[in-house]
Amino acid sequence: MAPFEGSVVAVETVPPEHAAEGAGAFVRSDGKEKVTGSGRYTADLTLTGQAYAKFRYAGHPHARIVRIDVSKARALPGVVAVVTQDDLPDVRFGGLVQDRTLFAKDVVRFEGEIVAGVAALSEAAATEAARLIDVEYEPLPAVSDFVAAMDTGAPRIHPDLASYEKDENVVADGNTMAYSTIVKGDADAGMAEADVVVKGRYVSDASQGVPIEPRAVVAQWRGDEVTIWSSTQVPYAARAGVAQTLQVPEANVRIVVPLLGGGFGAKCDLHFEAQVAALARDAKRPVKLVFSRREEFVAIAQRREGIVMEFETGVTRDGRLVARQATLILDKGAYCGEGGFLGQMAAMHACGPYVIENIRVEASLNYTNNQPSGSVRAPTAPQVCWGLEQHMDEVARAIDMDPVELRRRTLIEQGAEGPTRQVFDEIGMKQTLERAVEMIGYGRDLPDDEAIGVAVGWWPSAAAPSGAYIHINGDGSGTIVTGAQENGSGAVMAMPMFVAEELGMDPGDFTILYQDTAAANWDMGSSGSQTTFNSGRAVLGAAADVREQLLDAAAEELEADREDLELVDGGVRVKGSPDRSVTIGALAEAGTIHGKGSGDVPDAPAGDTGGCVGRFGNETFLAPQLITQAAHVKVDRATGVVRVLKVVAAHDSGRILNRSGADGQVTGGVVMGVGLALSEGTQLDDEGRQRNPALLDYKLVTCADAPEIEVDWIQIPAKDAGPRGSKGVGEPPQVPTAAAVANAIAEVIGSQVQHLPMTPERVWSAARERGSEEVEA
Amino acid sequence: MKVDATLTVNGVPYPVEVDPHLSLLKAVREEIGLTGSKEGCDDSECGACMMLLDGKPVNACSFLALQAEGREITTVEGLASATGDGLTPLQRAFLREGGVQCGFCTPGMLISATALLRANPAPSDDEIRLSLAGNLCRCTGYDGIVRAVRSVADAPDPA
Amino acid sequence: MRSFTSAATLEEAIAALGAGARPVAGGTDLVVGSRQGKAPLPDAIVAIDRIGALRALDGSDGEALRLGALVTHEAIVASEIVRSRFTALADASAIVGSHATRANGTIGGNVMNASPAMDTGGPLLCFEATATLRSHEGERTVPLDELWTGPGSTVATPGELLVAIGLSASVPGTGSAYVRLEYRRHMEIAVVGATAVVTIDQGSVVDARIAITALAPTIRRVAEAERALVGTDAGADAIAGAAGAAAAGSAPITDVRASVDYRTAMAEVVARRAIEAALARAGGADVAIPASDALYGDPGALR
Repeated sequence: MAPFEGSVVAVETVPPEHAAEGAGAFVRSDGKEKVTGSGRYTADLTLTGQAYAKFRYAGHPHARIVRIDVSKARALPGVVAVVTQDDLPDVRFGGLVQDRTLFAKDVVRFEGEIVAGVAALSEAAATEAARLIDVEYEPLPAVSDFVAAMDTGAPRIHPDLASYEKDENVVADGNTMAYSTIVKGDADAGMAEADVVVKGRYVSDASQGVPIEPRAVVAQWRGDEVTIWSSTQVPYAARAGVAQTLQVPEANVRIVVPLLGGGFGAKCDLHFEAQVAALARDAKRPVKLVFSRREEFVAIAQRREGIVMEFETGVTRDGRLVARQATLILDKGAYCGEGGFLGQMAAMHACGPYVIENIRVEASLNYTNNQPSGSVRAPTAPQVCWGLEQHMDEVARAIDMDPVELRRRTLIEQGAEGPTRQVFDEIGMKQTLERAVEMIGYGRDLPDDEAIGVAVGWWPSAAAPSGAYIHINGDGSGTIVTGAQENGSGAVMAMPMFVAEELGMDPGDFTILYQDTAAANWDMGSSGSQTTFNSGRAVLGAAADVREQLLDAAAEELEADREDLELVDGGVRVKGSPDRSVTIGALAEAGTIHGKGSGDVPDAPAGDTGGCVGRFGNETFLAPQLITQAAHVKVDRATGVVRVLKVVAAHDSGRILNRSGADGQVTGGVVMGVGLALSEGTQLDDEGRQRNPALLDYKLVTCADAPEIEVDWIQIPAKDAGPRGSKGVGEPPQVPTAAAVANAIAEVIGSQVQHLPMTPERVWSAARERGSEEVEA
Repeated sequence: MKVDATLTVNGVPYPVEVDPHLSLLKAVREEIGLTGSKEGCDDSECGACMMLLDGKPVNACSFLALQAEGREITTVEGLASATGDGLTPLQRAFLREGGVQCGFCTPGMLISATALLRANPAPSDDEIRLSLAGNLCRCTGYDGIVRAVRSVADAPDPA
Repeated sequence: MRSFTSAATLEEAIAALGAGARPVAGGTDLVVGSRQGKAPLPDAIVAIDRIGALRALDGSDGEALRLGALVTHEAIVASEIVRSRFTALADASAIVGSHATRANGTIGGNVMNASPAMDTGGPLLCFEATATLRSHEGERTVPLDELWTGPGSTVATPGELLVAIGLSASVPGTGSAYVRLEYRRHMEIAVVGATAVVTIDQGSVVDARIAITALAPTIRRVAEAERALVGTDAGADAIAGAAGAAAAGSAPITDVRASVDYRTAMAEVVARRAIEAALARAGGADVAIPASDALYGDPGALR
């Protein structure tokens, strides 16, 4: 099928002559097109007559638009469309707070805000046309400091916040978009009971998702219907967003995702599909948008939020956590997007997977004139875990207890109560700790510039509806139709394995039709580590439906009792009588085997959540994924340069269905976590402009710096979970890596680096301060 | 003003008409239609566009198309012949060892590793890691990629 | 109007320059710069990458070294002459960009880009390199410290083409090293760099040249640091004195990569490491190329 018509791939197994090279290995069905270059990503598409889109960005972090004059742009030869908000329905959109328009209306609130779009017959003409748009601004005072944003008298980012449409649970005030608390017992009373109270303050800079594929969108109208090819992780959310903002029915919007070059959350949410569709409608021809890396940094309304964290923990001498208080202030940036829940999520991570008797955590998610933040891989968790786990090491030091021993005594287990008195089923939290400690060789002697740090974390599984179809074709091959989105992890690619197992067929018998909203049911997309968890359940449901139909048909064909039949080797046969069999191809010859499934969506676990405000569904954690990681680092004290030599990861993600795919999530997540730990920080000027929007100065970990990684799984099948007791896999690896690295650094230099990322300069600075303290002492 | 030229990509001469400022990457992707090579950054940091130029790696996004005239250009599409399973041992190893996730870095990574193995058929792990440092991957943590290159390097007849 | 010529000979290239064209070799600076929006590509371009005469790397024992403008970083790293007698230059070329950058990036492009962060600049200054510039009016030779006038600017006129870099002969007993502060092991730009070239005779330093990189508007030698070393036995105090002088001779800025305080402190650390590596090499010790990696970046050899 043509690449424009959704992504259809054939499942391939290792060719027989090479089977010995990797017996049993999972070979992804989109693999061949990816290693040969024949696969198409959105930017690879070209449509006849296509025009090129460029956006005009605000540049100003905060300003009133006095006037927009597009006449010069329109007059430029080759320009086929110019669109501003005046040309579009007056619709505000957003997740929990509807605070944004497609193009800026009256006010721009961050430098990457889109003021206008143009389409032209050449890229050069589009660039020139965008430049020729004359915009007059009246600068407004900008707020980049997300703590100062709460000051009385701070300039208001959204003066009309009170009148915006918003979720009923949103508690908004001033520049605070959403205030959330997690409360258990009486934290003050608990603190009074403590032998020791430890306080700590940690600050995390913002950081970025940085998929290697920059965003691209192509839109083409046919009458009143539009097809949009987009590098999105969430095609159905994009469809809903286009429908809402352009005021067209969802049925008229088809989102197709060609191969997706990674996302990491940066490609969640409606981003640019509607603007490009509006340009294409105006141009009366297909329009294509491809981002430069700079645009990818500045214009993507999705980055990891900066957070200021203050922790206070009351502990007894024997390591009982009697109270936790924490105040978290988060940088939401200019708009809500889909990230309105981030404060509450951060608050849960300020509790962590520990048994704590009394808790009060407050989180304020604040508007600023910075780039909007959103759901980058395990949003808020890596930063808060980085702060909390350093704080926990301090707590251990304060009672003169080994940090691993403190965790051993305080981590959650079966029957324990979580932060909102959620009672846990059988979980492997403590086993992950013991396994990680064993793998890294905790406690062994190391040179004095090396050390091991340990950190724990958790992440909820996300329950969402999903649906799938399976068609068995006349020749016995099968097509799996799923709304699930493949971001590269292999989660969708693994579906033929599950289906084949259910139907006694070979994974290679199946192709997958996926990431095309016209073909399949609504799906949450590649977010929240939910693809296998939810879409997998749906696909297995569809397989079970097919199985029932095959058994019915075979019972008739073979004149046998259904209960006596089994599905083996691509056929149905009578148990114990292999000669009485019929192939699946024969049963499907008339083309009548079509299965569908959705699976039951698990309910959120119960908890005592009445004392919490700003509840958005994360006040209890469904099928929590539990993680311990340990990092072995080497620190050059003279320069502050840190090399992470090895990271071990022991995870409880329930039953693991695809080991090599799951391992790949961990190795990738750990390396992304090392980047977050040491080098990935977006630097802002006083008004919120990015100072390092390029890969030379926003440093990802390269192959040369990636640590050795060892992975193991504590496989306890989870209840109320994904298929076969599985939980999510993709986000947890990112959660405690920076924390483990931080604890190891602190062990070497004798003081904590309380600013993330822990750049050489910050490590050097912390080591030097420690050095001067020692001199003074 | 556009200039007539012939670019030889994967052994095939392609007549093209290009602007003097056009990069080799854009010429190959947009004029010749081979889209396997990718554009991922603006400053030669990501390596997704890497091609071989007379056998040596080049970031094609930062190389003028006209400078490549008369030279042998190899892209990911030209690594394997169409016979057999259509894959080189290195491509097969990438799939087998989990060296491919989203696949966007894969073409440049394969080119980079091919260049390494031609120059140094039996690299150490550290040599592999240093040689691939110009190719960013956000998905795999490089683990499967290094394993894949090592497995082919160990083999008697590399790539 | 845009034009492109590929010069087959030096004469063709000079003629094109005389007519207003700008030269491009490997494109690693020029094209990247235009993509980053630093400067648009020139309308008239003359590609000089096919002029075979500019690819030569000439030098033999005890003599000066002549690098044609098109000698690539890869060729420099591979050259036994450079590795053994101009080792600091090999240290520098070995850590420029990725292997793709090193295969295409040329010494000529590097020098004429005049970046205060260029890795090869310090070694070239310390080897008292000269630039040979040719135009249709003739040829002149300019010492590099006179060639560079500021970030991105040189004394070369638009009609002049850099044809070669000359390095003065190295004296027996000389060791050299270039060390760069490296946040990552590879794909870095110098935030702080230092070069040391030292000559030892009978246990005493008879000549020392020390240059600092990314610590001033242009790469520069620091006479005070050199003086602190010459005549000493290269003991710890002398090294510390020279490293301190190198830091004192710097005039760094605060930017996204580092603060003034950190750069100044690192100037001392990196200068000390460069001096130590150069001394070790002068004494016949085997310090792997690149020295940054051996002394600093390689987890196994990190101090």
